[in-house]
Order: sequence, then structure tokens, then C-alpha cells
Amino acid sequence: MSFVVAKGLTRNYDLSEPLIVRALTMRPKRILTAVDNVNFSIEKGTTYALVGESGSGKSTIAKMAVGLLKPSAGTLIMDGKNLNDPALARNEQLALRRRIQMVFQSPYASLNPRWRVGDIIAEPIKAFGLIDGTKAQFMRVSELLEQVGLASSDANKYPHEFSGGQRQRISIARALSSQPEVIVCDEPTSALDVSVQAQVLNLLKALQKEYALTYLFITHDLAVVSTMANKIGVLNKGKLVEEQSPTGLFSRPQQDYTKMLLNSAPSINFG
Amino acid sequence: MSENLLQIKNISVTFKTRHGVLKAIDDLSLNVKKGEILGLVGESGAGKSMTGAAVLGLIDPPGRLSSGQIWYKGQRIDQAPETIRGHEISMIFQDPLVSLNPLRRIGDQLVETILTHMPITKAEAVDRARKGLEEVGIDPERINAYPHTFSGGMRQRVVIALALAPEPALIIADEPTTALDVSVQAQILDLLKQLCRERGTSIILVTHDMGVIAETTDRVGVLYAGRLAEIGETRDVLTNPKHPYTKGLVASTPRIDASSFDKTLYQISGSMPKLDAMPNGCAFHPRCEFALDKCRIDRPSIIADRAACWLLDGEETLL
Repeated sequence: MSFVVAKGLTRNYDLSEPLIVRALTMRPKRILTAVDNVNFSIEKGTTYALVGESGSGKSTIAKMAVGLLKPSAGTLIMDGKNLNDPALARNEQLALRRRIQMVFQSPYASLNPRWRVGDIIAEPIKAFGLIDGTKAQFMRVSELLEQVGLASSDANKYPHEFSGGQRQRISIARALSSQPEVIVCDEPTSALDVSVQAQVLNLLKALQKEYALTYLFITHDLAVVSTMANKIGVLNKGKLVEEQSPTGLFSRPQQDYTKMLLNSAPSINFG
Repeated sequence: MSENLLQIKNISVTFKTRHGVLKAIDDLSLNVKKGEILGLVGESGAGKSMTGAAVLGLIDPPGRLSSGQIWYKGQRIDQAPETIRGHEISMIFQDPLVSLNPLRRIGDQLVETILTHMPITKAEAVDRARKGLEEVGIDPERINAYPHTFSGGMRQRVVIALALAPEPALIIADEPTTALDVSVQAQILDLLKQLCRERGTSIILVTHDMGVIAETTDRVGVLYAGRLAEIGETRDVLTNPKHPYTKGLVASTPRIDASSFDKTLYQISGSMPKLDAMPNGCAFHPRCEFALDKCRIDRPSIIADRAACWLLDGEETLL
């Protein structure tokens, strides 16, 4: 069985007016299905990319994967365990959550501006009770900072002292600090400049090789996907319309929607 | 195509701050020809939006145009930009949600713009507004709709209609498609290209996206740390870049290509210098793998009408 499996994953949003208004006007409920019966599986140590335009449901899937949202139906399974099993005790839930972390899109919004970088990175270590003792925690933070290409002295600085690319490195260090096996990357480079984007993508790849990390990579950028993903799923209006390897997808796209996406992506290759 | 519509001559934009006077744009010169689409590309803080703002006199204090001249149709405009702003030169901003007034119908906003810049009656203006909407692919019957009833791409079409309404000779489009999905982006860029060809309007397209530059522009200027690093025909610059920064930028752009998987992307180490810590000589030399001794001392100007790089000076040893 694959390491991460989504089975019939569905998420509905209730957009109905209040009950009393509906009763008076005789209007039915309005349900928006943001993610509609999505199935995919990711092998350990590989990258699965979900691509789609705004409103396709890609970020909703990311949120469900890390437990920020509960699926309306269907399950997400990691290493044979159901992430949303209501029978799980709180400490079992926590143990599972430690193994799946997230890197958010905006490094400007996802780091607390009032916290020192060292505290930001140490938080998951403390929250999951991984390392006891301030000194040992500090050592671990220094090690993480160096892993993502920052200096251990940066632990005392605040996020505003860093550029966008460096902040995204801090986000990555925070995600790594709980020693996860799966990292959900939600548009990790779309707020960055191209040359910095290359640095961050290369870092993510190097870390994947070193720790056999499994990535769920959410993006709208097909060019980024082509350098990162082992397998690509194309989402359109909440449905997974096509799934292929990059080679297959770029040379033989099956669905019209995929072809349209490929044709409209601006390319710097002169034909 | 050869006639220069806009000439930017050695302009500098400076900001007076606690840390001294910072140069956001440093001795930049550019020409925009009639009917062409000129791209300005660079990373955040390179000065691409600032260049557009300088042309329209939209730099907010404490920033100011401290030296240089801007000429439009043989007339110097940097002293009195309001004479051409909106009428001769108009602007398209990044976020259509912010540049439209959410409380007013799109028709009213169009009519107001037209009446401000053209000596015609209200009825004629309404007529023009309907035509303008039709031109950008919006049903003129929606003239009385509010901005929130349109999607992002449709809103940007309305903004384009607004920019085109006074029939400007030059449009400055600052990241016009950055907030949009790729499929919508392609439509908007096609629309801009088509309008440019039909009316002979020139466009300065400011973007950070090399793909957009490749598909849309005739010529491109690459900005780095407020200076022009390279300029030339888009195809030349992207397929045969002369400046090491442009080379790095092109090489680090991911391509849609099945064979690129598992290859490490080229990366330019480090990041752009902060304005209060500009290196001597060429601004790019600390990140440049070809840097010569000269690069650390003397700032290169544009050499051979192409790139501001000492490597192009005299012999072509490395390039």
C-alpha cells in the first residue's frame, strides 16, 4: 500500500441562507462541493503534485491533509492509519500529526512577526515534546537553520529581517523540526522571485533525497511541477480529471482541460 | 516602429531616509518606440514599477525624480506629468479589485474617465463606453453592472477598457495578469497584443514573469537593483543573454519540459543588494561568477547597445 492514500476525499461547504430565511422563501439548501470524490496515492519518498486554477480545490485538499479541515466524506490514510479516525485517542492523533507538516504559500503571513526565528522553529519541538531542555532544543534549532542554508546566529533575529526566500527557508525549517515524513507544500514558491524560487525548489529536492520525505505539492505553475513531481494530478472544479507522470502529461495530455492549461502557460521556450 | 514615442534619459529616483539618500532608480535610460510592447522584467525591488510611476509622475514623497529627463513626443514631461497622465499615457494596475471603485457601476466609471479627458457630451461618452466594453470582449449590456458581479479576468478587461477609453498612445501595464489564473492571463495578454497592433498603441509591460515577457513583448529591458542590466529584442535577450544576471534569470526559470524532472535548477546564489548596501562598481558583481577586478570598482554603462557588463567591453572572452 502506498504511503499516503486519499480515498473518495470530499469536502462540502454549506452556502445556504439561514434556516428561517429558507423556510420563508422555500429555497433549498445550497451546497458547494469544493473537493469531489478525489482519489490519489503517493509512494514514500516521492512528490505528488496537484495542479489547478483558483477554485479547483487544491488548497482545500492541502488543509484536509494537515488536519486544518475535516473531510465531509472519504478518508486520508498515512502509513496505513486513517488521519481522521474519530476513535483515535488524543495522543495518537498528535503522534500522527507530528509526521505530516506544512509549508504555506506566503512566508510573510505564515511567520509570527513578534517571535524570534529560533522560537518559531522550536515551537513544533515543544508542542510535540520531542526534545527536553532549552539547551538541547537550541542545538536542534541551530542544526535545522544550517540544514536550510541559514546561519545558527539567525535564531535571534525576527522574521522582518529576512528576505522572502530566507523566510520560506525558515518555514521549511519549522516544518522539518518535528521530523515529519510527509510535507504538504501549498504554493511554496509563488510569492518568490524566479532566482529565489530556484534556490527554494533545489533545497526542497535536496531535503527530500536526504530524509526520504514524501511531498504533496500544491501549485498552479506547471513549469514548477515539471521539475518537482513524480506524478501529477490535475484538478478542475474539485474533481481530479487527469493523473499522469510529468513525461506523460506534457507529451500526451488526455483531457481538454489539461491541454488548455498547458497551452496557456506562458513559456520562455521559443518555438 | 522606429520612431521614439517616449525617451527616458538618465533618470534617478531617490528616497531621503534616516539611512541617507537611497537610489531606487539609478541613472536609467530607455526608449519606447511607437507601436511596440516593451517589457520591463526584474525581481522585487529592481525598480520596474518605479520606472512606470516615474513616467506618470506618480512617485510618492519622500521619493522624487532627482535627476534626468523624460520626453514624450518631443516634449519634456517630467516637470508637468499631469498634462499627459491618463490622457496620452494611461496605466493598468495589478489588482483589478483595487483599481475599480466597488460602489460605482462600471459604466459610470468609464464615462467619468472619458469625460475627464475628452471634450465630448455625456451621451457621446456613454456611446464610447459601450464601444470600449465591446472591444475588450464584454457585453455592452452590462454597462450598468457593479464590479463585484464580474470575475477577476472580466474585471481586468474593464480596467483595460478604462485605460483605453481616452485613446492613449502609451499604456503602462504594471503586472496586469499576476493576480489571474493562467488561462485568463493568456486571454488578457492576447487582448493587449491585439489592441496594440490594431491601434498602434505602445505598451510598457512590467512583470516578473519571464514567460509573459517571452510571449508578449517585442523588446525587453532587464532591471537589477534600480539599474538597467540588459536591453534588446526579446528573442535575442532570452535566447542569447549577454549579461550574467540575465543568463542566471533565464536559466533559473523552470520550463514545462518532461526532461527537466530531477535536474537541479540553476540558481543565482545570494540575493539582490539592499538599497542602503549597494556594492561599488557593478551592482551584480558579488553574485557574478565571471566578475573581474574592474567590476568591483567601475560601474559599467550599457555597452554595444545591449548590456551593462564589462565582459562585453572589447574582446568577447567569456561570452
